[in-house]
Amino acid sequence: MVGETLQKLLMTAWLLPLLGFVVEIFFGFWSKNPRHSKAAAWTAVGCIGAGFLCSLTALVMWGTASNAFDDGDAEGWMSQQADINHARHPHHEADSSEGAPPHEHEGADHDAEHHGSSEAGADHILTAVATEDDGGPKLERGQTVYSGTIYTLGVFGSLELTLDYYIDSLTLVMFTMVTLIATCIHLFAIGYMSDELTDEYVDHFAHKADGSHVHRPGRFYRFFAFLSLFCFAMLGLVLAGNIFQVFIFWELVGICSFLLIGFYTERKTASDAANKAFIMNRIGDFGFLIGLMVLWTYFGTFRFGDTMVDNEVVDQGLFSMVHRAEDGNFDRDELTGDVLITGTDGHVLTNEDGSNRQIPYYLLVVVGLGIFAGCVGKSAQFPLQTWLPDAMEGPTPVSALVHSATMVAAGVYLAGRFFPMFVQEVLLTIAYTGCITLFLAATIAMVATDIKKVLAYSTISQLGYMMLGIGVFGWAAGLFHLITHAFFKSLMFLCSGSVIHGCHHEQEMPKMGGLLKKMPITAITMLIGVIAISGLAIPGVIAFSGYHSKDAIVASALAFKNANSAHFLLFFIPLLTAGITAFYMFRLWFYTFWGAPRDQHVHDHAHESPWIMTAPLLILSVFAAFCAVGGDHGYLYLLLTGDEPAHLEAGVTAVGDGITLPAIQDIVDEHTTAGTWALVAAVSGTLIAYILYGTNFVNVEEMKRQLAGVHGFLTNKWHFDELYDALFMRPAHKVAAFCAWFDGAVFDRILHGAAKATVVVSKWDRVFDENVVDGFVNLIASATQSVGTSLKVVQTGRLRQYVMFIVLGVVALFAVMFTTFPG
Amino acid sequence: MFSELLTTLINNTLSKGLWNFSAELCLSGTIVVMLLMRLLSADRLLPTFIVGLIGAAAAGGCSFAQFADLIAANDTVSYSFFGGMLRQDLFSVFFRIFLTLFLILTIALTVLTGIPDNEDAPDFYSLLFGATIGMMLMASANNLLMLFLGVEMASVPSYVMVGFLKGRKASSEASLKYVVYGAGAAGVMLYGISLVAGVLGTGDMAALAEQLRVVAHGTAGLDNPEVLTVALGVMLVMVGLAFKLSLVPFHFWCPDAFEGASAEVAGFLSVASKAGAFGLLVRFCVGLSGVPETADLMTAFGVGLGVIAIVTTTYGNLAAYTQKNLKRLLAYSTIAHAGYMLMAVAAMLVMLNSDQAAGLGKAINYSIGGLLYYLAVYMFMNLGAFAVIALVRNYTFNEDIDSFKGLISQSPALCITMLVCIFSLIGIPPFGGFFAKLMIFASVYQAAQIHWAMYVVLAAGAINTIFSLFYYVRILKAMFLEERPADVKPVPLPAMEGYYVVVLAVMVALLGFLPQLVNGLSSIANEAGHAVLLVIGG
Amino acid sequence: MLHDPDLNSYLFIGAVLFVCGVICMATKRNAIGVLMGVELVLNGANVNFVAFSRYTTLGLDGQIFSLFVIVLAAAEAAVALAIVLNFYNNHLTVDVDRGNKLKG
Repeated sequence: MVGETLQKLLMTAWLLPLLGFVVEIFFGFWSKNPRHSKAAAWTAVGCIGAGFLCSLTALVMWGTASNAFDDGDAEGWMSQQADINHARHPHHEADSSEGAPPHEHEGADHDAEHHGSSEAGADHILTAVATEDDGGPKLERGQTVYSGTIYTLGVFGSLELTLDYYIDSLTLVMFTMVTLIATCIHLFAIGYMSDELTDEYVDHFAHKADGSHVHRPGRFYRFFAFLSLFCFAMLGLVLAGNIFQVFIFWELVGICSFLLIGFYTERKTASDAANKAFIMNRIGDFGFLIGLMVLWTYFGTFRFGDTMVDNEVVDQGLFSMVHRAEDGNFDRDELTGDVLITGTDGHVLTNEDGSNRQIPYYLLVVVGLGIFAGCVGKSAQFPLQTWLPDAMEGPTPVSALVHSATMVAAGVYLAGRFFPMFVQEVLLTIAYTGCITLFLAATIAMVATDIKKVLAYSTISQLGYMMLGIGVFGWAAGLFHLITHAFFKSLMFLCSGSVIHGCHHEQEMPKMGGLLKKMPITAITMLIGVIAISGLAIPGVIAFSGYHSKDAIVASALAFKNANSAHFLLFFIPLLTAGITAFYMFRLWFYTFWGAPRDQHVHDHAHESPWIMTAPLLILSVFAAFCAVGGDHGYLYLLLTGDEPAHLEAGVTAVGDGITLPAIQDIVDEHTTAGTWALVAAVSGTLIAYILYGTNFVNVEEMKRQLAGVHGFLTNKWHFDELYDALFMRPAHKVAAFCAWFDGAVFDRILHGAAKATVVVSKWDRVFDENVVDGFVNLIASATQSVGTSLKVVQTGRLRQYVMFIVLGVVALFAVMFTTFPG
Repeated sequence: MFSELLTTLINNTLSKGLWNFSAELCLSGTIVVMLLMRLLSADRLLPTFIVGLIGAAAAGGCSFAQFADLIAANDTVSYSFFGGMLRQDLFSVFFRIFLTLFLILTIALTVLTGIPDNEDAPDFYSLLFGATIGMMLMASANNLLMLFLGVEMASVPSYVMVGFLKGRKASSEASLKYVVYGAGAAGVMLYGISLVAGVLGTGDMAALAEQLRVVAHGTAGLDNPEVLTVALGVMLVMVGLAFKLSLVPFHFWCPDAFEGASAEVAGFLSVASKAGAFGLLVRFCVGLSGVPETADLMTAFGVGLGVIAIVTTTYGNLAAYTQKNLKRLLAYSTIAHAGYMLMAVAAMLVMLNSDQAAGLGKAINYSIGGLLYYLAVYMFMNLGAFAVIALVRNYTFNEDIDSFKGLISQSPALCITMLVCIFSLIGIPPFGGFFAKLMIFASVYQAAQIHWAMYVVLAAGAINTIFSLFYYVRILKAMFLEERPADVKPVPLPAMEGYYVVVLAVMVALLGFLPQLVNGLSSIANEAGHAVLLVIGG
Repeated sequence: MLHDPDLNSYLFIGAVLFVCGVICMATKRNAIGVLMGVELVLNGANVNFVAFSRYTTLGLDGQIFSLFVIVLAAAEAAVALAIVLNFYNNHLTVDVDRGNKLKG
């Protein structure tokens, strides 16, 4: 029952925005006054708000059903883990006492508990744990995953394309987060986009050829239609129960992103940025497709989880097809080293000829890297990170929703979702990619002056943190940071939107300053976001969300470093960057809100935004501050990790010279150390920012001159655009120029010769065509037409002739009958 | 002896006849009630159309009950009642249900468009009901007398309905042409009946072929004077039916009558009267078939019908090209569609009279089933088109294509309905019209395996589908692509009318989209096709 | 010289009546005349029916046929006359050639 209800709730939440999209996109058609009405916006808010309520209900239901909230005891995190461990090894003693046959595969504990289901029959329960132990009401928590098929799109041979759902703790938390943030941002956008409520919108940033501004009708309802479509796509991506479905919605969020970045389509910068984002993503998606092909070839299914009917597996999913031994490594063929493909019970599946089904290890690496390539594109990781700052050309609510909180996080989400299939090599790639990205972006953020650009680079950097977390086996830490980051980054983007709105579309921080008094609510909520992202805290007293999640990542990295000392950079760079993060975020805040106004004109006209924009700020600031309360004892963390992949717990032992992945216990041991270091880094960053930008002790401009080389390097974004230009664009141009020359010099000669011959032939052909072919076609056309006209003549309208026609008809028919019928 | 006969007659009537005739009785009773109500001025209290709807619903209920009976008693039931005048089988019941459903739809349309007004309502609905009874009789006729009575019973009220717009010159001219042409055709048909019945010595349609064999003494060729006379008679009967079906060259009344009549009446005539006539035609042709001696003759007859079908379809489609008045255009379209449906009858005749008929049982059922399916879809799509014309006329007082220009900007619901109906009329998948056409073409193809001429029919049908594209698309082009002229009055659309046309459009779409509906209806149609063949032994 | 007429004689009469009726319908401009032509056609058929009932196995059925036809002809004539009257109201004539607006 729980499964069905969850599915219905989430599907409602998912499909409502689609309904909203359909209503809104035709709004101009339905409304008498589409350019001035806010009805479309409220429709969108209604849909996504209702979706939030559904998601929240589902989350609470799931939590209650799976005892996720029963943290109760004082022993804290470790005992919780012990309970989980206990739950995962269900009662060997119970088995024997009941006389049930013992398991054949003692090591197969992570997927062998099907028999213990206590749920009602029709639910699709991947794994559930019996709670009716004789020991009384003891806390039991189970991995409770619901998966199944919603709709079959098509069956092509053995390839079955379906819409599936896969509901576990991650899905539910993502749903709630996305819908909540989207609701806030929709509300904010009603205020922010209100200048589009006009029949003639003057775009001051877009110029026609004669230099005048572009005048166009307002596109208020269209904006909300796109937002709704985006929400639908994003929720679909999260709900997706197979990797192909993920790909579909992956592309759909891509197209929404394209539409929204290019919303001010008359601006060349905006349309260029939209193209760039789309093309960059295509590069990653190419890898994604390769991964999909390999998956299909070797596993024959795209599903994540097993589809259960009455506790019987009817369709096996990917996750149970590879089996991990007790040391955390995949079961492999002893001779070839290929990874064995197993059934749900751990038995190796066989081909028709009796040989074992297996996939070469390197192809499993290809799968992982391919899927991760898609994540790199979507989450703007190195080396495909350059599109995200440009994407800030879209309206600020879009930046907040799509390009910081949700869509770009989809890459991290997918990496987390597909985690059970990743092997060590892939994880190491993920970790290094994240590490490079987070450092690179943070350094650029230090010198950026556009308020949205700073936030954009900060987003890239934080996404790098999440990837790093996942790469170093801190699965929970990475996804934990995904959620907390979504809250504080959307908050900060909305704040920056409020600033931009208040300063009449001024985005350059050097023209701001001293806005604290003019815009108190924006400034304070922004400060909350800044503290959260910087990871400042007073340990044991108060700590905002970023502190918990970032510390978890740093702790994972430290544990990873301890296990693999060669990869020490994976710990030190994030630690350093934690300081840089605090620096640039406080720089931003001091620059914007603190000190004396630097541009009197902007300052004079600045004003606080209306309530519809500040209210979402207040809501989000509460979440940004407190959503992670309790850290890894908190509700959010417990909910999130309810269904974490099973092999996380004990870590993975190195094979040969390979990578050792730390067990949860190792990470926990490092928690205090890592937390202290990270805090020190953050505090130092904050202090430096205060000294440089909060006080007048140091002349920043002087420093800038002194460090002109480094500064220039950073403001030019490590020259990545130039690098790509030199690496890809110019060679492409050269090749194209050569092709053009070759084309002109060689092909055209041949073609011209051929053409001359053709002209001669075609002259004859033309004569033929015009006189014969055209004549024939025209003849048919005019014939039917003239027959039609001449038939009008028959219908004379004279009654007596009609009667005469009866007679003639009879006589004619009789004549025909008499002559043709058999005698 | 006489009293014995009387008792048997009464017993038979009470036990079977009355129940089988209950739908017609309901309609007759309703006519009496409607006329009496006006006598007593009760129609001011209770609108006549409500009485009409109740009566039609009752008739529908009776038909459905009979349908359930027949299904329960297996489909092999076929027997005559009322002294051999009428026949009860699934085929009759199919038409009863079809006609009552269509009657209800037509009443609903007339209520929405306000034709007739309150004063004339009892007259109008009495005529409508009378015509419907006539069509039911046509579909269940088992005797040449009932053939004639049914045709007349359906025609005579139709003449009046065409002229119902009393003050209009066009209307009165149309009804005069219709009545004279109809009377002439009926006279010719009656003369033909007299020849057939007289030479064969019986009016029983089921026994026609058998009697012909007896009369012909084994030489069933046209050189035998008896056979020649019967052939002439059959041809004259066919003239009467061709008039009802508006087959070329007996179609002349159709465009004029449709143009002069109100769109509602035109819609009714185009579907219902055609349906009844096809029911009758199938019964008549089946009655003439099934005897080996006359098989060659009947195959030739079937091919002849195929040729008439070709001519009719082509004529209708080509003549529709240059029409400006939409009702007139749809009249020609109706002629063309009658041609398509006649192809099914031709195919049935060819297959039924071949020496492989025994092995072709399914295919023969399928050809009649295709015809019935076509009629069912045609009911919705043609009524939909005429309903749109009627609704637009109520605002623009005009039925020309020009008054439809740019309608999409004002009444999208009407335009979408028209789009669906026209796509279905053309036969564009996946609307109902496509499957209907497909079923008929499939059976023509089956028949072509027996006689090559049916390949020609098939090709002509396919080419005509393309011909028809142009004039149908012209309507759509006017509605969707052209500017609305300034002098044409706007067309707002009240909710009820919108629902009505949208329901019709949805039915047209569902008859194509919804496989359960398509399969269900076509299997019932095939069963009915099987039932009508029982009279000559399956 | 008088001898019993055979079936063909009656049929001949019927055929003559039928042809007369048709010619009348096709040539008369007066609507009433056209309707009289209709009556002739129907009665030509009636003669056939009665003759067949006398000479063939059709028997009484033929008589019944013609009785029904007479009744129907009356009904049809009533309706047709009403329509002609309506035509007259609108056109102020019963000349069927004046109804030529609907054509093409």
